Amino acid sequence: MRLTFCFILFTFCYQTSIGQNEQKTVRDSLKVEKLEEVILTATRTERQLSSLPLPVTLISKKKILQSGTIRLDEILNEQTGIITVTDESGFEGVQIQGIASDYILILIDGVPLVGRSAGNFDLSRLTVGNIKQIEVVKGPSSSLYGSEALGGVINIITEKPKSEELHGNASYRFGSFTQQDINVDIKQRYKKLRYVFFANRFSSEGYDLNPDVDGQTVNPFENYTVNGRIYYDFNDKLSLFTSARFYDQVQDAGFTFNDVAFEGDSKEREWNAHARIDQKWNDRLDTSYELYYTNYTANERLADPISEDVLSDSDFDQKLFRPEIRGNYAFADAGTLTAGFGFQYDELDRTFFDETVSFNSQYAYAQYDFNPVERLNVIAGARFDNHSEYSNQFSPKLAMRYKLTNAISVKGSVGYGFKAPDFRQLYFDFTNSAVGYTVLGYNVALDKLRELREQGQILDVVVSEDDLNNPLEAESSVGYNVGLTFKEGKWNSELNFFRNDIKNLIDTRIIARKTNGQNVFSYVNFDEIYTTGFEINTGYKITNALNLSAGYQLLYAYDKKKQQEVEDGQVFARDPATNQTVAVTQSDNFGLVNRSRHNANFKVFYDIASAKANINLRLLYRSKYAQFDTNGNGLIDTYDTSFIDGYVTTNIAASKTFYDDFTLQVGANNLLDYTDNNIPTLPGIQGYVKLNYQF
Amino acid sequence: MKIKTMNTLKTIALAAVCIAFTSCSSDDDNTPTPDPIEAELVSNLFAPQTGGQGQPVGGEFAKFDFETGMQTTSDTDWDIAFRGTTIAVNGGTVTGTDDEPARNGDAGATIATGTFASVTTAEGLTFDQDADGSFAIPTGSDNGWYNYNPMVNVVTPIPGKVLVFRTRDGRYAKVEILSYYKDNPSQPDPQTDESRYYTFNYVYNPNEGETSFE
Repeated sequence: MRLTFCFILFTFCYQTSIGQNEQKTVRDSLKVEKLEEVILTATRTERQLSSLPLPVTLISKKKILQSGTIRLDEILNEQTGIITVTDESGFEGVQIQGIASDYILILIDGVPLVGRSAGNFDLSRLTVGNIKQIEVVKGPSSSLYGSEALGGVINIITEKPKSEELHGNASYRFGSFTQQDINVDIKQRYKKLRYVFFANRFSSEGYDLNPDVDGQTVNPFENYTVNGRIYYDFNDKLSLFTSARFYDQVQDAGFTFNDVAFEGDSKEREWNAHARIDQKWNDRLDTSYELYYTNYTANERLADPISEDVLSDSDFDQKLFRPEIRGNYAFADAGTLTAGFGFQYDELDRTFFDETVSFNSQYAYAQYDFNPVERLNVIAGARFDNHSEYSNQFSPKLAMRYKLTNAISVKGSVGYGFKAPDFRQLYFDFTNSAVGYTVLGYNVALDKLRELREQGQILDVVVSEDDLNNPLEAESSVGYNVGLTFKEGKWNSELNFFRNDIKNLIDTRIIARKTNGQNVFSYVNFDEIYTTGFEINTGYKITNALNLSAGYQLLYAYDKKKQQEVEDGQVFARDPATNQTVAVTQSDNFGLVNRSRHNANFKVFYDIASAKANINLRLLYRSKYAQFDTNGNGLIDTYDTSFIDGYVTTNIAASKTFYDDFTLQVGANNLLDYTDNNIPTLPGIQGYVKLNYQF
Repeated sequence: MKIKTMNTLKTIALAAVCIAFTSCSSDDDNTPTPDPIEAELVSNLFAPQTGGQGQPVGGEFAKFDFETGMQTTSDTDWDIAFRGTTIAVNGGTVTGTDDEPARNGDAGATIATGTFASVTTAEGLTFDQDADGSFAIPTGSDNGWYNYNPMVNVVTPIPGKVLVFRTRDGRYAKVEILSYYKDNPSQPDPQTDESRYYTFNYVYNPNEGETSFE
């Protein structure tokens, strides 16, 4: 941390002196009109949403507030083609265009968040109080963001205060399951200085979908988020942004094993420190100098409350440090060049690792955004990542948008995305004490295998040593998006076809057999999958006050090799009536786990300006999906028994402002009270009342 | 350990397929008629074991004889034997675990891929025998005949795995294991369904050296 601070101070002083030498102030010719919706994530510059050649979803603060959503997973779940789902590990993550959470990068103000559970980023960690907007870029975005941005990027954008008066909110919300959400925020501009302070407390008693099973589905928890931001404009050319964020959660944990009810706490804690200096050299060139540090820790300890025997005690401590410098240069009568370079240090210390492990990477990227002819916009970019643990990655991307008429545009993009092998895949050393199998990270597999052999635990090794000597490759994809946008009068529609071809997916395989009859697993690149389909969104403004919107995504997600095996008649299942083997046919093949073929939503938002009130209804549908392969043939087929039926959730919310300073909101999520024991994240109807005081 | 009474071995004759001699004529009265191929279902063959979960595995194997279609305690007249998820053949040598029966026949095993009906012959297959350190039918999840899912704690026979055996005396049989749980439930519940109860279909050609299963 001390190093971080020095670096900030150094950059700060250096840039101040340069900034003061600047004389003239020039108005920014590139600045977009305030009325337009502006996106930062897609190009790392401010761009009008409607002019982008990429598939992007923008969720405004107004929509978040009106919908009565309080955590990031809730609001994202209401967007077309974005689904949150609990996978086989029991952790929840987000899925975009059928691509799982492992491959979706989560950012706050452009810097990445760490701390994943079995690859899943828990989006409910993030409160959506006090943010300006959420930007989602779909499709590979590694050309700007590097690893993890294989399926898309979710970026939470905060707001710079504008008013010299002190403004703020204080709110309290109470809902079903003793859910309580308290928010306080204040913001002000004082000449060159601006500040924001935000605090949130969120708690719930949890709920239990299956009383027959010991323990609750979701245990009671409480968490706190605190965020402070300071902005300082030295002059028109030089400004400073700093942000510190803290998150802390404690949740009850329990596990019944051999008739003993073990109890304990599951704790999570996160720190983010982010500082950036933006410098405008002239009306063509601006640069940014950024420093970022984050630390995520998780700890869970389970013990017998009577005998105090400890069942499990696991720790997870990940740190990331990342300085980056980037700049934009606008050529006269031509395009804008964006370029940046940076360094990333990533470190993890956790249970089942021998020692703390770390990664280093250096990267540089460039992007050129230009209009070769008036109607055609082209963005071409690429990024190079040099990494200490896997082969270098070169990630290009090309995107184009052509304006056919004032109302209709065509857009298309192709890009490369990758995800570096994670710490777990490289350094895990885990033996299940109850069953006796072992899972080894790729980089430690050879050494650990020798140790096990010396202990006489290995019967035979089933892969060659050469196989374990070649480094594990990064998982990578090529994504294609082609679409149409239509905007005229009261109509606003967007159609996008997508295809993502992903290779080198990392999965476990058996590398050795143990004398106890169990196996030693390690990680290997072998799967090739694809996800394809289309997404359509349509909005219709009946009046300025009444808005309708509907969205639909069709998705096919398959393992290519498995699909071929099915075609060759080499995949089998059991007929549940007789338990006899039958061959799986192409029409029986359902594809990958947790993928719904259909995903749709319908929303009505109605503003009653005269009464300072608004009301909305949101219907969300996802068709059936399977949780895991139940018959051991490595794919989801119609004989599997883990299917979850399609379902609709209905959410409503109504708000009214009174005495100018107070807003009362009442609402209900899952109004029709749909529950399924196998959807742990969907409790029954959740009603709530919220009172907000704004000043 | 709980004491369980041994289930009566139910053998149900599903079909008795006779290979008709098309060249039969009244002059060939002396030609011996081949024995018909036997297709049977064996239910709830109990195969207990001791140890496991990190402890040395032991206990008597439950031996099975294709000729009689019955479980047996004979030291010599058996072809295959079960203990937990492990399957031994009466051919080769002991693998080195506790309480194994001596191998005194020439049995062998291999795993074919397909539906049970699609495996029509043992012709051309290579048979392995038990050896020091390894069973002919490999042990462990996904190595041999079963998959163990630690999430739900269930042992499932891998669909499409047909075990083909050469018996101790040079005859051939194919086996499809249907279930590892008592009474062949379609969705075993490890809490209520008792494990180590094999239900399997087999087809046995009692004619020495004949490889056909139909």
